[in-house]
Amino acid sequence: MKFLCVPCDSPMKLQSVGPPERGSLSVVYSCPECGYEMAMLTNAYETQVVQSLGVKIGPDNDGNALSTTGSGCPFPGMIPAKGETRPGEAGEPTPVRWTAAAEARLANIPAFVRPMAKTGIERFAREKGALEIDEQILDEARDFFGM
Amino acid sequence: MKRYHDIVGDGGSRILEQVAEQRSRITDGLAGVRHLVAVGSGKGGVGKSTLTLHLAGALRARGLRIAILDADFNGPSQARMAGVQGALFVPGSHKVSLPRTRNGIAVFSMGSVIPESEALDFESAAHGESHTWRATREFALLGEVLASFEWGALDLLMFDLPPGAERTVQYADFLGPRTSFLLVTIPSEVARGVVARSVAALSKGPNRLLGYVENMSGYYCRDCNAIKPLFVSPEPFDAAQGKPSGLEIPCLGTVPFDPELARHCDQGIPLSEMPQTPVGQALDHVAQRLLEGLT
Repeated sequence: MKFLCVPCDSPMKLQSVGPPERGSLSVVYSCPECGYEMAMLTNAYETQVVQSLGVKIGPDNDGNALSTTGSGCPFPGMIPAKGETRPGEAGEPTPVRWTAAAEARLANIPAFVRPMAKTGIERFAREKGALEIDEQILDEARDFFGM
Repeated sequence: MKRYHDIVGDGGSRILEQVAEQRSRITDGLAGVRHLVAVGSGKGGVGKSTLTLHLAGALRARGLRIAILDADFNGPSQARMAGVQGALFVPGSHKVSLPRTRNGIAVFSMGSVIPESEALDFESAAHGESHTWRATREFALLGEVLASFEWGALDLLMFDLPPGAERTVQYADFLGPRTSFLLVTIPSEVARGVVARSVAALSKGPNRLLGYVENMSGYYCRDCNAIKPLFVSPEPFDAAQGKPSGLEIPCLGTVPFDPELARHCDQGIPLSEMPQTPVGQALDHVAQRLLEGLT
């Protein structure tokens, strides 16, 4: 969708996107010629259809694209993490640290399965007696599962 | 006044660019895959998943590098049948590794991460209106899987499609003209009718139709060591023509029903561990015809 400032005959630029509120996004455009601003207020169906494409909406840090439709994850909360225990609950597992390099690799996993994959890898590490997950542990998990 | 196509870009949302980037990541991820084969039908319950897995096994036994993508996200069955239920998805330096079967077939199935007691669920802003967006979301998910996992160098990537003639065409559109289709039917007029609709729909597009397999083509009785009729069809399979009427594509073979095969599927045991049986020989024949069709 594009917006045109009719008096200036100039394409409008996306300025900001308000976070979803009861399924509605507030997307502000302005005309670079006259400065006139307008807001597109989506209904829940419109918001959902765009989110379903797996894209993000809004200006990015460079000011010319992207940002947020919420968490930045296109599949937020889609799959609960199997066997995840909240801190303070009975049977809370020993905390396992992730090195920066291992965490960077974790980011390669699509967001929709990341929580489950993380929990499974932490369980694998605990069973090996490791309290820190580094790239070596990840390689060992790959070998263990015949990958 | 300017019109839509007079304006370059979209003012900053980059939605079209992001969709193009997603497609580019998918193309890059599949660059090392020689053949893409989608196993579909249109009809449910005809044995698409079973045939996909065991054809993959027969092709793997020929030394080919094979992977299966269980595209039935809502009713995934490959994880159980391939013995990769509970397998971890472990991140590599760039892509995510795929679990493998005992005989070396890489398998992606949502069944590896979603227990059978749970259903695939998406968070939504449009509560109670999932018919307006759910298919779009599922295809975005398929794109994410294709782009993120390590498919590497493969001879064949087989897609196990969900049922629905219209879904089959949607997958053809999404996967693109590189993907060839193998359809599965059973010897019932109802199933053939639905598969004929899939043939008609797919024939309008650029995708290649390799042919079809008639599954459950008789029942293999181990006591009698004979194949007996399972369905009473008014139009039995015509061996001379190589096809039953109504399906104007080649028949790659017929596969009898064998309860032992069903037990293997439930327990995740590869077909290669079954002794030589009519069903094993039939699957091997179909695998050979499939290869011939691809080359």
